[in-house]
Amino acid sequence: MSPTARYVFAVARSLRAEDLADTVGFHDVPLDVVSHRGLSAVVCDVELAEFGEEALTKNLEDLAWLEWAARTHDGVVWRVAGLATCAPLRLVTVCSDDDSVRAKVDALHGDLEAVLDRVEGRKEWSLKVLAPAPVEREPVPAPSGASSGADYLRRKREAAGRRRELGEQALQAAEVLHRVASEHAVASRRLAPQDPRLTGRPEPMVLNGAYLVEADQHESFRAAVAAAAELRDDVSIELEGPWPPYSFAVLS
Amino acid sequence: MSVVSTEQAVGQVSLVDLLDRLLGTGVVLAGDVVISLAGVDLVEVRLNALITTVRADLARPRGARR
Repeated sequence: MSPTARYVFAVARSLRAEDLADTVGFHDVPLDVVSHRGLSAVVCDVELAEFGEEALTKNLEDLAWLEWAARTHDGVVWRVAGLATCAPLRLVTVCSDDDSVRAKVDALHGDLEAVLDRVEGRKEWSLKVLAPAPVEREPVPAPSGASSGADYLRRKREAAGRRRELGEQALQAAEVLHRVASEHAVASRRLAPQDPRLTGRPEPMVLNGAYLVEADQHESFRAAVAAAAELRDDVSIELEGPWPPYSFAVLS
Repeated sequence: MSVVSTEQAVGQVSLVDLLDRLLGTGVVLAGDVVISLAGVDLVEVRLNALITTVRADLARPRGARR
């Protein structure tokens, strides 16, 4: 077995180690809780042969490994978030030992408390707005003679105008839906729209929003967004949640 | 207009959504082992990894991915 380090999944408040007794981290290694000044870091042992800097450079380029790591991390975060107020950490946060974990928690104590205050009792929703898939460019026959030249240019201009109009309508719909969602949330963030190469869908994404919603507001949030989306036949939406408050655990 | 609305359970968040969050925005508590991977480097890595493999993934049946 190669030297080990401590992988940190999340920092939580009021978490009891025994509540995590049935949960495991990577490779079914049991989780541990490193407590310091009222905060609990949820950790597990990992081998440096897999999670060291050199190994990670290679492993993060391997989608199967990346997905396994992300799903394992996410599974632990969901479990912790179900037990306590929790600030998820970014993927592959690795410290050399428990003292190092404590030192980090100590250095960021105020910021971590602020993050936990912000997300307490709240969960995240994701709202994506997708513009219509780009239509095949209408075949505009090439001019066959001098007389049809002006006609050809006019039809070409009209086709470009229609495409532009659809795009502008979609952007406007994104603004409206983002505003409605934000009004029913305590905080919102716009993440970068996902590339169609990553979503595997041809429709361009015009909004990739994240919304922090109070525990008792999930239904009204969902209903308000769905009702606003019903009024827009120019876009489609994807509304998903509630998730742990990943997008709102950023240190300010 | 179509609305896709789902009650999520563990493991149902799509990988791209998960990476948006796990790599883009989570609390950054720079670990001392992977210090040089913190920040921009990781985002670059994720895009390279995803774009190359998603292309291969497109050849798979639709049901195999989200």
